[in-house]
Order: sequence, then C-alpha cells, then structure tokens
Amino acid sequence: MIKLTGIEKYFFAGTPNAIKALDSINLEIKQGDFITLIGSNGAGKSTLLKAIAGVINVDAGKIEIEGEDVTGQAEHVRARDIGRIDQDPMASTAAELSIEENLAMAYLRGQRRGLAKAVSTRRTAIFQEALQVIGLGLENRLKVPVGTLSGGQRQALALVMATIARPKLLLLDEHTAALDPNAAKLVMGITEQVVSGNKLTTIMITHNMEQAIRYGNRLIMMHRGRIILDFDASEKKDLTVPALVNKFTSTSGAVFDDDRVLLA
Amino acid sequence: MESVVTSALQQGLIFAFMALGVFLTFELLGFPDLTVEGTFPLGAAVTARAIIDGANPLLAVLMGALAGGLAGAATGLMHTRLKVNNILAGILTASAIYTVMLRTMGRPNIPLLANENIYGRISGWFNLTENSFSIIIILALITLLVRFLLGWFLNTDLGLAIRATGSNERMIRSLGVNTDNTKLLALIISNFLVGLSGALACQFQGFADVGMGIGVLVAAIASVIAGETIFGGNSLGRLLTGVILGSIVYRGLLALGLRLGLPAEDFKLITAVLVLLVLCLPSLKTTIFWQKDSIAKQPGLSAQPSDKTGREGDA
Repeated sequence: MIKLTGIEKYFFAGTPNAIKALDSINLEIKQGDFITLIGSNGAGKSTLLKAIAGVINVDAGKIEIEGEDVTGQAEHVRARDIGRIDQDPMASTAAELSIEENLAMAYLRGQRRGLAKAVSTRRTAIFQEALQVIGLGLENRLKVPVGTLSGGQRQALALVMATIARPKLLLLDEHTAALDPNAAKLVMGITEQVVSGNKLTTIMITHNMEQAIRYGNRLIMMHRGRIILDFDASEKKDLTVPALVNKFTSTSGAVFDDDRVLLA
Repeated sequence: MESVVTSALQQGLIFAFMALGVFLTFELLGFPDLTVEGTFPLGAAVTARAIIDGANPLLAVLMGALAGGLAGAATGLMHTRLKVNNILAGILTASAIYTVMLRTMGRPNIPLLANENIYGRISGWFNLTENSFSIIIILALITLLVRFLLGWFLNTDLGLAIRATGSNERMIRSLGVNTDNTKLLALIISNFLVGLSGALACQFQGFADVGMGIGVLVAAIASVIAGETIFGGNSLGRLLTGVILGSIVYRGLLALGLRLGLPAEDFKLITAVLVLLVLCLPSLKTTIFWQKDSIAKQPGLSAQPSDKTGREGDA
C-alpha cells in the first residue's frame, strides 16, 4: 500500500558536516499495519516520517501511496492521505481556536475549503460522536479554546483530528514523549483504540522499547539512517527488551546510546 | 461636547475599516503588514482621481477599495511567491505606492469640495440633505454591513483556514491547506478594507493627499488595542465589534484632546508612546514584579514572544 524505494536524504550536503540522514531506505507497508519505529538518537526516525509526509524533500528514491508516486508532492497536497502528530502538544492543534473549530479544520483534511459554515449543526454531531470515543468529556466542551486544555487532552484531541477524515496513513512522532506518565498512558490507550478501531495503517516512533514491543504488529529499528531490524508480528510476540538491545548491538556493532530508551 | 461626539463617530467609523483590516493581518494572521501606510492614501488617491474624471461616487469609493486590495496582493505575492520577508514586502509596496499615487493624481493632492461625494449621493436617495448626522448614519450602515460580512466569512471553512494560519501554520498545512494562499487572501481582504477607509476619508474631508497615510497604522493599532481591552472578549464577534468601538473611542479621545487645546502636532508621539506602553505592559509586569504568568496573547500585537501554549489546565 505504501512503498518506499531507495530513499536517501543528506543534511549539510557538500560541507564537512555532511550527514546521510536516510540511507537507501526500502520499506513496504501493508494496509492495516501498525508499525512501531525505534532507534538511537539521530537514527533518522523523524526524518523518515517527515520525508513520507512531505515536510522535507528527499534527495533520491521514490515514495508511493497506493501506487501513486507522491515523491515530489507538496506537504499540503499529500496531507489528504496522511494524518500526523508531533511530540509537541502545541504543534498539532491551534491554541486560539475552539475544540469544534479545530475539528472542523481537520474534518476537511485535503479538501477544498469554501464558504460553508465551518461549525454546522450536522458537523457538531459528528464531532461529538468522535470525541465520545476517547472518553475525556471533550464533547461537552466544544466551544472551549484548545489553549486551555492540558497537554494530554491536546494530544488526545490531535488523535481525533488526525483520524476524523480517515487518512490512509497515520504518522505518530513520539506523540506521548512530552507528556507526564499518566497522560502518556492515557494517550497511548486512546491511540490503540483509535488505530485498531479504524484499522488505520500507522507508523509510531517511540523511545520506549517496552512500548515498541507491546503495541503494533511490526517493529522496525533504525540506526544511522538505515533500517537494521524488521520484526513481523510473530517474531515480535516473543521479543523482550534485553533481547532487543542484544540484537541491536550484534547487528549494528554499536552500543545502544540512548538513556531514555534503556531507562524507560 | 457635541462636536466631540460627532467627530468621534464620523472619524471613528471611517477609520474603523482600517482598524478591522489591521486586526485581520496583525492579530488574526500574525502578519505585521506595513503596506497599509500606503494603502490608505492610495484608496483616497484613486477615489479622488475617479471623482474628478466624473465617476459615480459609489463606484469611485469601490475603486479606491479595490486598489487597496491590489496593493495587498502585491505584498502577498512578494512574501509568499518570492519569499520576501513580510515586513520588507510591506515596506516595498508602500514605497512603490507613493509613485502610483502621484501618477494617479498627477499632483500631490486633489481638492474635491466642488464635487459631489458619496455621502451626498446616498443622502439624496432618501431625500435627506447631507449633514453630519446623515453622514454618521450612512457610515454606521456600511460599518454594520462590513462587520456582518467579516464575521460570517471568518466562520466559514475558508475564513477558519485563515485564522488557523495565524494560530498554527504548521498544523493547518498538515491538514492540507496551502498557507501561501490563505495569507494572500487575508492580505487582499485587509488592504481592501484599508483602501475603503482611505476612500471614505477622502470623501469626508473633501480632498486626497499623498501624505495622509503617515501615522495611520499606529492609530489603527491603538484602536485595535483599545477595542480589545475595553470591549473585547473571547468570541470573534465581540472582538470585531470591539475593534469598531475602539476606533470610535480612539478618535473620540483625539477630538477631546483637541477640544481641550492640546497641540495637534503632538498626537502622533502621544499615540505611539501609549501604544508602546500598552504593548509592553505584560513584559513590564514580568520584569518588575517577577510574575511568571503573564498574559499569553494571540499571535500578533503583544510584545511578548507569543507562546502558543495558552494556559495549561489539569488533565
């Protein structure tokens, strides 16, 4: 369904500091896959997600969504197919606008925006229904500015916004990393619910190995711009954190250098 | 005193269109658009030229407003397509407009006292004579119409996309909106309103002058701040109405100052200092009283680096 072929991305090309951020990435993602993506600092995880979403342009390779070549497409064009949430709770919602206004913008993902009333009665009903699923009571606070919500509530709302228009692909870039443990747990629960409930094809970056093993049906590990490990559902089932660290060390020849991962 | 109220209403309503335009770019879009210092006299110049060429006053005013919209488009295209810095793009347009105005008028100013104006024309429709009262009624009606249209538009899908561009550009782009286009559209609408303001001002004063734009931006910002502070609330509708009322209050204060014998040449400095004080209030509070929780405001006018966090409640 989504196919990456020979993706390369350089930063600071032509300077002494040149970095190969993505190094011949080949990846085929099947409809309904829930991939957890893990790797040490600077492995290229976020760069990969940004390349897929079109936030950055790749230097070589091809990105296809359902057979359509989207490699050169602008971010806002690709957005019709791709829902995305960042680590920063401020990034995926508009603070000055109300909950219902945020949802109204997300509801029209990738569509032409005209002079129809953004928050109509019919849409309000749809928004309330979508918010009920996550069980935070936000459906009763539609007119509240999003800036008054907590980080956890904003990320939960961002999940609803990212999925309300049924994108073909959902990209989660450590979307719980900036939250306190309780809020992170809550948002992860909602994530699982939303993703499995809609059978959404998803890539989720996480720093938490235990989380990476627990969620999803496929686990991918990156290192220095390459995909070095790729476990399918059956291989992933019996995986443990120590086993994963060992596997990393033997495959990459490096020591896993991210405290956040090991301590998580 | 009566003359102060009359003057506040007439001037305030005329400049309210400009304040609304400035509110749209500075506050909602977070785009400090300096084009407007040129757009305001441009609206007047184009209207004046059209009048002396024999155009219907209504058409002349509309042409003034449209010329303003074009100026906004010039700045918008420079910024979005040619990637010129937003402030510089506005300055370039405003500077170029000076030549356009001189070419349009053929001289630095045009007196129009001998020509029929839009207020006389509309008064005539209702068999009224043109006087300060009928002018206020006409201006109030146009203001109401614009206020209503703007309120409606900003709550449509397209209007919401413009507001979102100011609130969180990255987010609205990730939802499939070309933010270059929303910025361009907002600049056109804003400068259309500023051009309209200039056109109505020139009709009211009975002349157009290339110098009539000096300081109008600061005055508009003062009106916006006055409106938000005195009348504003959370809802967009209240803010729009507040900006109009703010413009009336600001012009009222100026008229009052004149009445009390304050020298008119001091007004621009006084206004600038007042605006500076109001803008700096949150950060002054922070430094003087060590308050951590200063007012987190909308993208535009506050001197604080606008943090998009808002307030954090409990989960």
